[in-house]
Amino acid sequence: MSVPAAANPQSRLRPGRYRIAFALATLIVVALMVSSILNYVYLDTIPGRTSLYGLLAVVLIAFGTFILVRAYSRDPAMRRKNLIRASVLIGFGVLLWLLVIDVFLFTQSAGPVVAAVCALACLPTTAFALIVVRRLDRNHKEPWRLVLVAAAWGAIVATSLVVWGETIWEASAQHALVPGPGLDTSLAFMAGILEELSKGLAVLLLFLVMRNEFDDVVDGIVYGAAVGLGFNYLESISYMTNIYAIFAPEGFGGVAAGIQWYARQVLGLFFGHATYTAFIGAGVGIARQLPNMRQKILAIVGGFVVAIAGHFAWDAWAALFPIDTTIFVIAEIHLRTLILEGPFTAALIALLIFGIRYEGQNLLDQLRKEAATGQGAILPEEVPILASPWQRLKQRLQALRRQGFRAYFKISRLQTAQLDLAMERWHRERKEIDTPLEAEQQLRERVIRLRHWVPA
Amino acid sequence: MGTTYDQLRVLYRTLLVFATVGVVILVIGIIQFAYFEPFGQTSGAKATIEGVYVYDSETGQIEGPDSSEFPRSVEFAAKVDWSSLPANITVDARWYDSFGTLRGQVGPGTPPELADKSIVPVLVPEGYHYVLPGRYTFVVERFNHDVPVEVLGRRFVRVDRS
Repeated sequence: MSVPAAANPQSRLRPGRYRIAFALATLIVVALMVSSILNYVYLDTIPGRTSLYGLLAVVLIAFGTFILVRAYSRDPAMRRKNLIRASVLIGFGVLLWLLVIDVFLFTQSAGPVVAAVCALACLPTTAFALIVVRRLDRNHKEPWRLVLVAAAWGAIVATSLVVWGETIWEASAQHALVPGPGLDTSLAFMAGILEELSKGLAVLLLFLVMRNEFDDVVDGIVYGAAVGLGFNYLESISYMTNIYAIFAPEGFGGVAAGIQWYARQVLGLFFGHATYTAFIGAGVGIARQLPNMRQKILAIVGGFVVAIAGHFAWDAWAALFPIDTTIFVIAEIHLRTLILEGPFTAALIALLIFGIRYEGQNLLDQLRKEAATGQGAILPEEVPILASPWQRLKQRLQALRRQGFRAYFKISRLQTAQLDLAMERWHRERKEIDTPLEAEQQLRERVIRLRHWVPA
Repeated sequence: MGTTYDQLRVLYRTLLVFATVGVVILVIGIIQFAYFEPFGQTSGAKATIEGVYVYDSETGQIEGPDSSEFPRSVEFAAKVDWSSLPANITVDARWYDSFGTLRGQVGPGTPPELADKSIVPVLVPEGYHYVLPGRYTFVVERFNHDVPVEVLGRRFVRVDRS
């Protein structure tokens, strides 16, 4: 089997995708501007000011992120320039954002020390979850830069997007509906729809702008979960500081904040937002490989529907689960999470396992085909090693024992480049790629170069 | 190719099955909402909430001017003019805190039955020193078949953290 024919070397899809991505990004910025003005006019003074002053930070981060993602396209000439631009924009944005959020919002309710402690407490758990999520893709790990971009969007942009919508919905519902189950159901719809849409936009933008790094359902799950974890991080801090401020005068603010931390950063870390947004990612990931537009749209809408339904089910029905004040309360709280959110996480794991197997089989097929070309990028004896995560690890560890860390990392880079090549071949064979055939040859040459650097 | 495409179809169809379950969940949610918030429940009646005042739990009396903001160390109560409502409807009055938890209630009953219960205080949670800070909602509700279906009067009160 020779190199597969260029499937779509002159695709006209890419500019179209960028146009959609630009339109979505513009929509987000406009929504944030409207949000800020509405918040300033209609909300309490402090959140209003936060929103207005934070707008600049959001715009800086949004454009900085876009430039950062573009910097990692395969255009080395522009990479350095874009990286500097993105770093400056994101750096200013993050500083402004932290200033605004910490000083005006969290410190307003609980003080800067409590806000800092809450943020620090959530950091190791969220970082751990991001490491686990990234490792889910055993065959072809997502680059850290994109995983972190996804998490940052979830934390900063998605949370900002929902503020105005949720405030307006909540205020309208509280003025119009009967307090109790009806109002609670309405608020559950609000959280499910608005929060999943705002998180899902980040996944969708990532897919539109960075399709080369968005291979399949597994990638979608990883990026979606990362967005969810970012959102969960900021939401956890917000809830912890708020609860602390409410209960501190009664003498158990720390305990109340600690319970929130456990519920959101331990018990619900993988169950809640991470699971819901991972479903959106799964839908987008499946759509990425489907042949026709109708199926693509159905898959994306399907992912959103599952995410919204899962989120709604938790918000609407968690209170119905009996939690008493006996010694069994801890078991009951865990059971509630398991029963209400467990099925969604289990369904997601099923999609993930199937996706990993599907991806693995196809990569193996492409590794074999590339080895058969005899071009030297992948040797026949390397195929079983590259096809198995454990064998790859074993090979890296052998290099580590023999020649130290440098050899370990060189082998690691070689393996990654070889898998990149197999992935490129897979997409080309399926006619779902629009990079020119030369890109594949460049990957092949890169593998051969790396092979020369790797010690025997 | 055929095999791999079939695998993708399995993934696609599995997602659609999950999405169908999701649609069912959302439809149940809509039914739940419609049950507790039935359409067309407007009687035209309006309850008069005279105001929200500082409340002395020892004497059971209100004092001071009508206010929408209180420090957390102060107890407060709403005063309702039950005579402003038709005598043949079932109503109650409730306080909810910012978590949506019931923090005080009078009724349900007909307005004449509740005539001597015009003051509806917010209760300090058991074991606590003060009411919790946040936004409190006071509502006068009309009942239909034991389910509150219409809000006849509403007030919002903010309790400061300090």
